[in-house]
Amino acid sequence: MAVSAVHLESDAFLVCMNHALSTEKEEVMGLCIGEVEVTRIVHIYSVIILRRSDKRKDRVEISPEQLSAASTEAERLADITGRPMRVVGWYHSHPHITVWPSHVDVRTQAMYQMLDQCFVGLIFSCFIEDKNTKTGRVLYTCFQSVQAQKGSEYERVEIPIHVVPREAIGKVCLESAVELPRILCQEEQDTYRKIHSLAHLDPVTKIHNGSVFTKNLCSQMSAVSGPLLQWLEDRQEQNKQSIVELQREKERLLQELAALE
Amino acid sequence: MAASISGYTFSSVCYHSANSNSDHEGFLLGEVRQEETVSISDTQISTAELIQVVEIHNHDPCAQLFSFYDYAGKINEESLNSILKDRRKNVIGWYRFRRNTQQQMSFREQIIHKQLTQLLGVPDLVFLLFSFISTANSSTHALEYVLFRPNRSRYNQRITLTIPNLGNTSQQEYKVSSVPNTSLNYTQVIKEHGAEFFDKDGVMKDIRTIFQVYSALQDKVQAVCGEVEQSERVREKIQEDVNKLKQQIALRKRKTAEEERKLRESENADSHPTSEENTDPSEASSQSRINFHTPPAPERPSTSPNPPSYADLLTQDDSLLSSSSPPTSAALLPRPQAVGSPGHPTPGPLGIGLGLGLGLGASSNPVTTPSSPYLGNGDGSSSDSLDRQAAGQEDDEEDDDDEEDEDSSEYENLLSEAPHLPLVSASVLAQGRPAALSPDGDARGSQTT
Repeated sequence: MAVSAVHLESDAFLVCMNHALSTEKEEVMGLCIGEVEVTRIVHIYSVIILRRSDKRKDRVEISPEQLSAASTEAERLADITGRPMRVVGWYHSHPHITVWPSHVDVRTQAMYQMLDQCFVGLIFSCFIEDKNTKTGRVLYTCFQSVQAQKGSEYERVEIPIHVVPREAIGKVCLESAVELPRILCQEEQDTYRKIHSLAHLDPVTKIHNGSVFTKNLCSQMSAVSGPLLQWLEDRQEQNKQSIVELQREKERLLQELAALE
Repeated sequence: MAASISGYTFSSVCYHSANSNSDHEGFLLGEVRQEETVSISDTQISTAELIQVVEIHNHDPCAQLFSFYDYAGKINEESLNSILKDRRKNVIGWYRFRRNTQQQMSFREQIIHKQLTQLLGVPDLVFLLFSFISTANSSTHALEYVLFRPNRSRYNQRITLTIPNLGNTSQQEYKVSSVPNTSLNYTQVIKEHGAEFFDKDGVMKDIRTIFQVYSALQDKVQAVCGEVEQSERVREKIQEDVNKLKQQIALRKRKTAEEERKLRESENADSHPTSEENTDPSEASSQSRINFHTPPAPERPSTSPNPPSYADLLTQDDSLLSSSSPPTSAALLPRPQAVGSPGHPTPGPLGIGLGLGLGLGASSNPVTTPSSPYLGNGDGSSSDSLDRQAAGQEDDEEDDDDEEDEDSSEYENLLSEAPHLPLVSASVLAQGRPAALSPDGDARGSQTT
């Protein structure tokens, strides 16, 4: 296999989880940015949240424009982090659905592998609950596709994936995380613009559509922007505390070191 | 009773848990509300039902285990207060993340819970248990979570935890055409009075207004994000400094120990020429002790495809381990696989990437180890039909010598035989419906959200 394992930085993992848990009614998707090491390990440092142009069920595909925009973003990240970064994979969510990739997913993955044999796919399965034991579950898996023989069906190949700890959240991951409300709003605006351009609607229908837009934006603010802001504030508070405690420990250690010398 | 937690808080717990190479715990802050639901039935005009809603707003992670309790599970109130500070009044529960264990409260967790209930004065304190399990090849991982309210009766202890989300984006609600109407009166009235809603450009006023609200909110999000980013960098820097200092101190101590040893040797050499052999194991153990106590930067998996398995480490460092003092060697012992095995922590190696690849040098305190023998040992009984099934499978695997099977054998079984497995055992990974067994997507057609 071209890829031996995937190492996913924990702050990128955090963004993927945030994204996957943002909606249970449709599949979300994004791209993974990182680098492939000489040991054939794909190291993912960040993710980019994507808009889904085709919202039909199980049609999780990335348009060439999005891939191109993502490559540009990867270059920007390469500048910030100082390491070579490129698009190395894609992820999407399976709300209420088993974590395994569907036939369509496997085929889509195979297609990406034709361009880049190290391209990997991640799937996050969430909003699963066992009613009997009241146990909730979140699963994630990593896979590639392989064709047993020429012309036969593509099959899933399991790729080991490990989450690499990172105590502090990186700048690029934070930026990706706060993109979500913006992307949602853009999607809503685009849809509304198309509707609004229809000329033959009577005033009542126009008012109705305007209200739908308002309602949807309110939904986004209360379900996404609000909790996101709350989490950011909580995180800032946690960091402040940690900094105070770490500072104290640092001073204690300095004293200890001085005593030893 | 219902409970909810925001997706961001949930992800944050997952994030902190992924960062820790041992168990992870913390407190849940939030509030409990009483909600009244009114229902009308044939027998009564209206029945008001009071349900308690537990809202988890935030979590307060503990930096390490045993930070407010000791090995016997006795809580130190002073430590508790210094951790919680003024957030104490918002505590509605606590949580624990563990790997490869049963979805049950351990004995220590139960006694801690009782004390917390009393100390914090929250009669219905909840406990959120996260348990993490992976397949043998680490390609698929599952995080299971159950919310307990242990202070209630035995049979009513688990609550469903929902994660509110965007749900339906319902863009289908836009109307693309108006209902046809030839009435002139209708057209005239709605045009005249409907004009209120539109500005001079023909755009609905509400659109602009709500967009302004959204913009202001997004600006604020960006601003706070910038501040968080700065605080992350500061924290990262100080953490690095602390780590460096710890390394320096360890190095110093080692040098001092070496110098002392050399001094002793030269003294002993005059009287006891053979004593050198005796000092070696102790030096090795003190060396190993120092090594294990030094917390390196968060351990990165080595460049091998899978982080070194425990067996590899055993063969390499066998001499070190055998001579090490119990606490440090225990630091490397795998967590007992409580899944399915009713109370026998098998000292077999773990094939779990997460557990091993991260922080193998026991970079956090070795004191975490004593907690492991308790996990899964508590009652030994499996209240879960799933666990019982898994236990049955586990027994079959017992003879298997392969190190990677023991802890997640049920998963490996499921993966290798997925299409043929009976319903119940496969439900751990899939959704428990027949169609969900096939990994190749037949599930799709039958699943409805």
